[in-house]
Amino acid sequence: MKKAHVSRRKFLKGALATAVAAPALLRAGGAKAGPEEDRIVKASKKYGKASLNGMMWALYWRNYPRLNTEFKGLTGISMDQVNDVPNLLIPQRAMAEAISRSGKFDIFHVESMMIPSLVAAGLVEPLDGYMKEAGFKLEMVGNFASFMKYQDVTYALPTDGNVCPQFIRKDLFENPDEQKNFADKHGKPLKWPETWEDELEIMKFFHRPDKELFGFGGLRDKENSSFWYWMYLYSAGGFPFSDDAEPTLTTPAAEYAADTFLARKQVSHPEAAAWGSPQMIPRIVEGKIFSAQYWDGIIARIEGSPTPTTGKWLYGVPPGSKFSGRLIKRAFSAPVMGLIVNKLSPRKKQAAMWSLYMTTAKNSTEVVAHPTMTFHDPWHPVHMTAPEVEKVYGGKAGMESIRKSLLVTTPPPYVTGYQEFKEAVDKNLSEAYAGRKSGKQAIKDAQEEWGKIVKKIGKARIKKEIPYYKAMMPKMDVPT
Amino acid sequence: MKRFVKKWRYPLFRTLMLTAWALLAGFPIFWITSTSFKPDNEWHKWPPVYVSKNATLDNYRMVWPIHQTGSIFVTPDQKGHGVAHESVTANKPWHALKNSLLIALSSTAIAVAFGTLLAYGVSRYRILSDTRMFQLLVLRMIPPIVVAAPLTLYYSVLQLMDTASGLIVVYFITSLPYAVWMTKSFIDEVPREMEQAAEILGASRWQTIWEIIFPLIRSGVVATFLFILILTWSEYLLSFILSKVDVVTLPVQLSKYEGSTEGRVYGHQAALAVGITFPLIIIGIFIRKHLVRGFTFGMVKR
Amino acid sequence: MTASATETAAGTGAAPARGSRSRGIRIFKWTLLTPLFSLFFFLMPVFLLQLYFSLHSWTIYLSSWWDADYAGFDLFREVLTESRFYWAFARSFLFAGLSTVGCFIIGFGLALLMYRPFRGHSVFYVLFILPMLTVPIVISYTADMLLFRSGPINDIMSFLAGTEIRFTWLANPNFAIFTIIMLEIWNWTPFAFIIMLAGLSSLPAEPVEAARILGASRLRIFWEIQIPLLRPVIFLALILRFLEAMAEFPKTWGLLQGGPGTSTETIPVYLYIVTWRAFNVSKGAAASYLVMLLMIVIILSAIYVLRREKKALDALYEKPAGGGEA
Repeated sequence: MKKAHVSRRKFLKGALATAVAAPALLRAGGAKAGPEEDRIVKASKKYGKASLNGMMWALYWRNYPRLNTEFKGLTGISMDQVNDVPNLLIPQRAMAEAISRSGKFDIFHVESMMIPSLVAAGLVEPLDGYMKEAGFKLEMVGNFASFMKYQDVTYALPTDGNVCPQFIRKDLFENPDEQKNFADKHGKPLKWPETWEDELEIMKFFHRPDKELFGFGGLRDKENSSFWYWMYLYSAGGFPFSDDAEPTLTTPAAEYAADTFLARKQVSHPEAAAWGSPQMIPRIVEGKIFSAQYWDGIIARIEGSPTPTTGKWLYGVPPGSKFSGRLIKRAFSAPVMGLIVNKLSPRKKQAAMWSLYMTTAKNSTEVVAHPTMTFHDPWHPVHMTAPEVEKVYGGKAGMESIRKSLLVTTPPPYVTGYQEFKEAVDKNLSEAYAGRKSGKQAIKDAQEEWGKIVKKIGKARIKKEIPYYKAMMPKMDVPT
Repeated sequence: MKRFVKKWRYPLFRTLMLTAWALLAGFPIFWITSTSFKPDNEWHKWPPVYVSKNATLDNYRMVWPIHQTGSIFVTPDQKGHGVAHESVTANKPWHALKNSLLIALSSTAIAVAFGTLLAYGVSRYRILSDTRMFQLLVLRMIPPIVVAAPLTLYYSVLQLMDTASGLIVVYFITSLPYAVWMTKSFIDEVPREMEQAAEILGASRWQTIWEIIFPLIRSGVVATFLFILILTWSEYLLSFILSKVDVVTLPVQLSKYEGSTEGRVYGHQAALAVGITFPLIIIGIFIRKHLVRGFTFGMVKR
Repeated sequence: MTASATETAAGTGAAPARGSRSRGIRIFKWTLLTPLFSLFFFLMPVFLLQLYFSLHSWTIYLSSWWDADYAGFDLFREVLTESRFYWAFARSFLFAGLSTVGCFIIGFGLALLMYRPFRGHSVFYVLFILPMLTVPIVISYTADMLLFRSGPINDIMSFLAGTEIRFTWLANPNFAIFTIIMLEIWNWTPFAFIIMLAGLSSLPAEPVEAARILGASRLRIFWEIQIPLLRPVIFLALILRFLEAMAEFPKTWGLLQGGPGTSTETIPVYLYIVTWRAFNVSKGAAASYLVMLLMIVIILSAIYVLRREKKALDALYEKPAGGGEA
């Protein structure tokens, strides 16, 4: 860890206030009513009071009322109306705003992959000016802050890291009988999987549908399939576009990714093709799944309160692939939710300040560590060591898996028209998963559809975006 | 014995068949009602729990909070953090109920009022030919999804987005065809002699409608009103697309459980669903006799 | 047409006609028609905008709608060359067709059992109309609760069959659409039931009686007397149900969002995805126009059939009771 240059008094103040001595925390000034918050409040005051309208799912909103009231007391700015829309529908609602251009909503809580499209629609206010004004610095683990920027301009403030560590059932994996049986069967000891092939082998071993235990618990439905696919693709060294903005979904790496994606059907629940999170999470929590890469929020769901599998999971970094010749491990972060300010709103300045206030190290720690909530997952370096967050996520092991996974996390295609690109891949992969076409055919069809989408959006535009998209990729192969 | 068999064979068969379908028809409604009283550990249990022995009202308390201070999503707190702060969304179901009532009732009332007048005109003065009458049905038959995008833009220009009046107008349009058709079938049955008599006695046309026709078709108008109310009450797509924060209706409120990442919260969904469905069921039972007449569009002579 | 016109004239024109009176009638007529015309003018821009969209290439995030490029019929061509569109159509037809037939057969069957009063009649009647009163979005959530593999439906089926059944209702790509069809049938059988019950109870008793005296079998009476007399009602039930089923969205979307794969992607789902997922408003508009055209063709032919049947019915009843067909 790097030592921060801080004065002794400041150090003491910070340590006393939070009992967390992480240097990053101090750098961000995360003490009670810390200077960062003071600066934001001071900056907000000159914009005057405002009553804001936001678009945010109630399951996210429920962490904010206290801070909202606090900010109202300090500045007179508060979120007074929230349109309660699930994450999946917010992009659609936001685009409907782009049609109506009413400025009724001040803040959209939307996934950051929508930023390029929303910027193109002229709906997003750049935040760097406000951040500078309030002396706010956006810090996220690893390369993760780039998820909030588009062509070097910050457009969103994170609320939810949403990375996917590897989950493996501890009680089964560490059972001496199982280990012996596995060693007998495969002639090698049962080890934490390093590659997708290892993972598949282990999952096959533990896949016992007659006992309601299913090897794999990732999603394979129409809304979520692509998330897993990108992870397989990136870990095989693949990338969905050439530098010239040509879709490259039929490369050997892409075929490998499709095969890896489809191979998990043999160890999945027979209903997985129709399952999204609402159906999968209860199965994971109830102990019917052996292994999965899944959003870190469930760690809090499993460990934060008594469930049938509390304490029965191992957490780590997802496996990788040696397809490219060296071992690369990749995780995925999508949808990463962020607060986006509506450029067309007459209250955008106040909305920006409100968003900044909710995202400071101290306040976001409160949001992430809210005891009954699991929807805001850690993203700030401070969260990784804050004891209250650790408490909610069931201790060090869970937090370490999140931190490490964040170091190698990857985005879906971060280009204009993301939803359309995503839909094409989701559709074809889920069709292949449902047995309607081969994996090869699926990526071929997706490639063709992508070609049309690129043509429609304009090659020049996409070409300009690709270097930024590439720059979001992790700098390391395997996290340490 | 043989005679006994012959006499009872058909009633027995009939009762069996009818009971079978009644079970099929009633089971989902039974299940949702039963689920709304289940504690959370029984929602996905295997074997399924049919009637909970630990019945609870918690789901209703969560979804339909009576106290304005509680946030609906704050579950009983395990770790001591206070939940004293009011959530903005806390009153949403009640707010949605209010919107649903306002929008459904007023759009239905307007549709039935204009529908009745039009139907009177059609029945007595043929202001619309048969063909036009059927073409009116097209309004109802075009899938709303087809016009959703232009409607969004149009409404934004008219400043009707997210207003109760905007939704009322849309529902007025989509329910007008049924209103005209149904009330016409009632008006057709009123003998003309009464109007002629009224006319000879010097009553104006509006007086005739209000004082002669309306009292005679009142029960039919009630049936029409309630039937259209059912359709408007359950409409989802238009309401979803044309509302923002102010006029969210109950079906839209329920739809937020779609893709809920915390797992299917069956109990809460069921409690909300019961709240949406039961008013309709009560209305439906109340108007069941009238539905028969309203539905047949004059195809059946009585 | 002419017959009814004269009938109207006869009905209203009993009092001696005067100039002021006919003027009064004209004013009255136009007063009644005004709301209809204002409605028409209110709606006009929506359809014009839709037409504008379908001829210009507009994706929400790429430009403002007013300066989208003119694309002529390119978007129509794009939609018409897309196999996904045809598949959606095929699924919609399968969905609407099968659910209509299913609703009708069950509804008619129930009506046949119910049209003569018996004890307990009204209890069954109330139970039978319950599904129609359930909000569609509620049905989709309820179906999710009922149909998962370890859900109550499989449990009951296991109990009835005596062995454990774990049928995959929703995730089976070949079966999912039938699951949705069954939901639609469950939901709308009451509609067919009510119409058919009304139709059956209004049948004149004389022809049936006469045939029975002549020694016709029950089946023959059914096929040769009751069915022909009921034809208009049958057409009505079928047509209305088919049209409403073509537009069904909340159940299909709420339950499977068109999945698994694309196996339940019907026309409304396709339109939703194109317009609100890909934000390709123009393509959505072009597809909508094609769908609208087709629906109008269907509706017009339906109207033709309904009118023919209605006329036949009117003619039938103008004759002395029991005449003609029997």
